[in-house]
This record gives sequence, C-alpha cells and structure tokens, in this order.
Amino acid sequence: MDADRLKSTLYLRCALPLAKVLRTEHPQVFDKLYYKMNAVVQFCVKGDDELGTRLVFYDGALDVEFGVNRRDATLVFEFATHEGLNGFFAGKMGGAYLPKITPLYRLDIVLRVLPLLLELKILDPNNIPKTPYWQGLKVKMVLYMITAALSQLNKSGHEDMRHWTQMQPERVYQWTVENGGPAAYLRVKAGKTKSGRGSYTRRRPFVHMIFPDIPGAFMVLTNQAPLVEAVSKGFVRTEGAMEYSKDIGTFMQTIETMLR
Amino acid sequence: MAIGLTWNIDDADHMTQGEIYGEVLTRLGSENPKIVALTADLAGSTKIGAFQKKHADRFFNFGIMETNMMGWASGLAESGLIPVVSTFAAFAALRCAEHVRTDICYNKRNVKIIATHSGTSFGPAGTTHHCTEDLAVMRAIAGMTVIVPADAFETAKATAAVIAHDGPCYVRIGRSFEPPLWKNLDFDWEIGKAIQLREGTDCTVIACGPSVLEACDASDRAKARGLAVRVLDMHTIKPLDKDAVVRALMDTRRIITAEDHNVLGGLGSAVAEVIAESGKGCVLRRLGMQDRFSPHGSPEDLQHMHKIDADGIEETIAEVMKTDFEADEDWEDEV
Repeated sequence: MDADRLKSTLYLRCALPLAKVLRTEHPQVFDKLYYKMNAVVQFCVKGDDELGTRLVFYDGALDVEFGVNRRDATLVFEFATHEGLNGFFAGKMGGAYLPKITPLYRLDIVLRVLPLLLELKILDPNNIPKTPYWQGLKVKMVLYMITAALSQLNKSGHEDMRHWTQMQPERVYQWTVENGGPAAYLRVKAGKTKSGRGSYTRRRPFVHMIFPDIPGAFMVLTNQAPLVEAVSKGFVRTEGAMEYSKDIGTFMQTIETMLR
Repeated sequence: MAIGLTWNIDDADHMTQGEIYGEVLTRLGSENPKIVALTADLAGSTKIGAFQKKHADRFFNFGIMETNMMGWASGLAESGLIPVVSTFAAFAALRCAEHVRTDICYNKRNVKIIATHSGTSFGPAGTTHHCTEDLAVMRAIAGMTVIVPADAFETAKATAAVIAHDGPCYVRIGRSFEPPLWKNLDFDWEIGKAIQLREGTDCTVIACGPSVLEACDASDRAKARGLAVRVLDMHTIKPLDKDAVVRALMDTRRIITAEDHNVLGGLGSAVAEVIAESGKGCVLRRLGMQDRFSPHGSPEDLQHMHKIDADGIEETIAEVMKTDFEADEDWEDEV
C-alpha cells in the first residue's frame, strides 16, 4: 500500500474525527461559534474519490462522516497530493501543503472551522500540555486516536497488522484510565477490527492496559516515561495475554513512526 | 475438609475412584458412629464393602431390593443416623426415583446416595447398565444436592463434604477406571463452588466428572494454537455455581458444556438455564449424549463418539470460535 495514502488515512480517519470530541469538550467556545450553523466541510485529496472525511454541522452540532462527495459540501478542503495533506496535518508550512479551498466566498465557514482545526494540534507529539485539564484531554484524544489508528491500519491492508488480526478469534484490547478516566478499545475478529470509545462490556478484555490515573497515563502516552520505567513506577499495568500486548506495542510504534 | 486423608498421586495409581471412596467412607465411619452403609448386593462393585470389613455392625445388604433399601435409608435417617447408600447409578436414580423423591427428599431425610457406574463408565455392560439420565432426575427433585466429582481425589472430598452436609445428597461417580485429575488432596473443594482449572477469555468449557480432565487437555491443545480457553470444574450440579457461569458468560461469551450424560436435563441444561435467565447473549454448545442412548463399548470409545473427549471438545472449541451471535457485527470504527 502507498505509504503516503496510508498516512493520509490515519490523519483523515483517526485524527480529524477527534474534532468532534473537541466540539463537545469546549461548549463555551464552540456553542457560540457554531450557533445554528449548518454546513458540510469536506476534506479530501485531488484524484482520490474514496478517502475523505466530512465534518457535518447541523444546527451547531458536529458529526463526522467518512467518504467524498464534493458536490454536496458547503466547503471543500482539497489537497493536491496525499503528501500535501500529511504535511498540512503535521503542521508544516508552505504552499505545497495548503489545500485548495472552494468556494472561496464561504470564507465565513473557513474562519469558523479553523479554530477547531487548530485545537487538533493537541495531538502533536511535541505538544506537551502543562495544565491537568489539557493533559486529561490529551490522554483521552490519544487513546481514541491509537485505537482508531490500529483499526485503520488493519482496514488499510497493512500486511503485518492484517496477518495479526486474521489469526485471532474475537478478542478485545482495552485501554482504561481508572477512577473515571477515559477508556477506548479495539475489537478484533478474524481479520476484522473496530475501534470504540469507553469500556467494552460484552466480554472481558483479552488484553487490558490499565492506567491508575491521568498523570500516569499522560507520562506513558506522551513518551515521557519509557515503558519499563512506567511499569516499575506503576503508571501502567497490563492484565491478560502479555505476548499480545507486546504485539500491540509494536503496532503502536509503527503508527507513531508514520505520523512523526 | 482435612479429615485426616493422606492420599497422593501414587495411591491414585493403584486405587480406583471407588476404592478411594470406600476407604474414605470407612475412615469417616471410624470418626462418626452415626454413619451406616447400605447396598443392594453390590458391596464389591461399589467398594462400599470396605466399610463392611471395618464396621460390620453398621453395614446392611438388602439384596436385589434397591427401592426397599431407599425406604430403609429414609427410616434410618429419621432415627438420627447418617445412611450412605451405594449402588449403580442406573438403579439408584432410575429404579428408585420415586422412593428417593417421596421417602427421602420429600421428608428431608439426611441420606447420602453414592451412585457408581454412572454415565457410560460401565460401557461394556451395555445400555441397560449405562446411566445417562440420573442428573436430570436427581436435579429435578426438590432439596436434593447433586455432585459429580471429577476424579478419586474429588470423590474423597465430596464424600466427606456430603457427610458433613445436612440434607439428601446424590454423588455420581464412575466405574472407577477414570484417570486422576488432581495429584493429591491439596486443593480447595466446596459444595456449590466451581473450580477454575484453566484461565481464558476466548471461550469457556464447563465440565463435570471425567469430562473435566478431557476439557483441560482440550484447553491445553487450544493454547498451543493461540486460544485461551477457560475450564470450569462444575462438580456440583445442584446448587449450581451461578456466579461462575455468569462470570464465564460475561468474560468469554462462548460456552461449551461437557458431561457424560444426556444433554437434556444435566449440566448443560443447568448452565443453559442460568444463561437464559441472565438476559445476556452467548454461544452455547452442550456436549454429551444428544438425546439418544449410548451403544455399548469401552468408555473411552463412547466418550469419543459423544465428543466429550479432548478431541471432541477441541473440535467444538474451534467451531464455536467461528460462530457469530447477535447483531454484534458492526465493524465501523466509532467516531
């Protein structure tokens, strides 16, 4: 599979959808900004009619859809190449990374969407928030992104990931921050995957990575504490099949390397 | 539960399940003068004869009059004694069903029935001497406790436990050629508490009697193929350890039961009742006789035929792992 397209997939299907989380988390900012707003904002790449994400605003609420339909979009962010899209979401500056925005007369929508896109910078690995609130939000978003990225890696046909998922019966890989913190999971079944938020309650996780609290999770998920140190300091513990948690760790590293 | 027993794997190598039962009962008889033993011309086969040698004054042979024996047991219990009745399961549970129900259980008499040669363990004797309905019959009688030990060591534990338990009990053991599951008596065993022998979240096998060892073998084989299969030794069919069943249901969502018994009315049915009452979705397979009589043959061959050996359980594990259930097949990532 084309590496740039795979990377674009991760941005469009794992990172950009988290705008919905930000919209919900910050009503004090976005309720006013998106008051009664109705618009469909399409993100896509020129020549690729399959890979795309649509931010759908309806009466100010935000939903996320996958796919490309330039015609019914209120606003289209179309990148010239996958590489350009990847650069844009990685925060790179320069003409090659900027999308073509149409129609230009909907500048009002552009200005209203930009603050939401800028808040996505919280996912930047180099962005280390200082306040507990933002650290907690980063933990939640990273957990959601990791699980989505693992699933998309499989769905995109990544060879090692496909092989790994095809070999497994129905299993659940769960990440949980205890004491009311966020949770996310990855379901795997004979080559199929699904990422979800919260705790999967229909069966016990096959592997369960548990963070006792937000500060510990933050240290681990922002790579400020190497895994061995994190385990010894009690920032994280794993229940279930350890050999499979090692596999998950390897795939997480693959994703991280791709997005860096 | 200590009861001063000291057997280990070496003893199990040369003492059968029935012999250990006879030995335990004899020792318990020495400690408790209220214990009396009853049989119907099967002292040798059921091994209760060991009790006779030591406590001849508390041993009664009724000849081939099993139903009469059950009536007597009820009367002896009423007088304050603890009657232990041993005969083949086919006679204890089927021929004597009415007397067990009306004379013993209806009157809440403290009688212990240790039924041997259960299931297909007496395979070569033919279908008339098999007993693949006793769990269904005994489980349906109000007030009866029903136990199926997995091997000789569990039989020792179960014998001591039912003597200590106040109320009618039915303990189902085999012909006595069953291989040991345990190596000694150093394990916790309690009426109504299942024992988890293998950990796993992919699937659960709930078994009783000789099927427990087979389930463990199947789980070990599955592990080599990357599957984590939980095994529960459900030695008490009634009262069933509902918590263990619900935990298995919630943790694994795929359950197989294995028993040397008709799938109707025994362990599989008991587990199915718990699952149905829980309101949770689950894949369930009940292994055992599929509502049919078993032909005659060696127990090993018959177990293979009814898929309650390691091969059959392993095959069923593979099958249930492929089974989809409910409308839980949405594979779109949550956004």
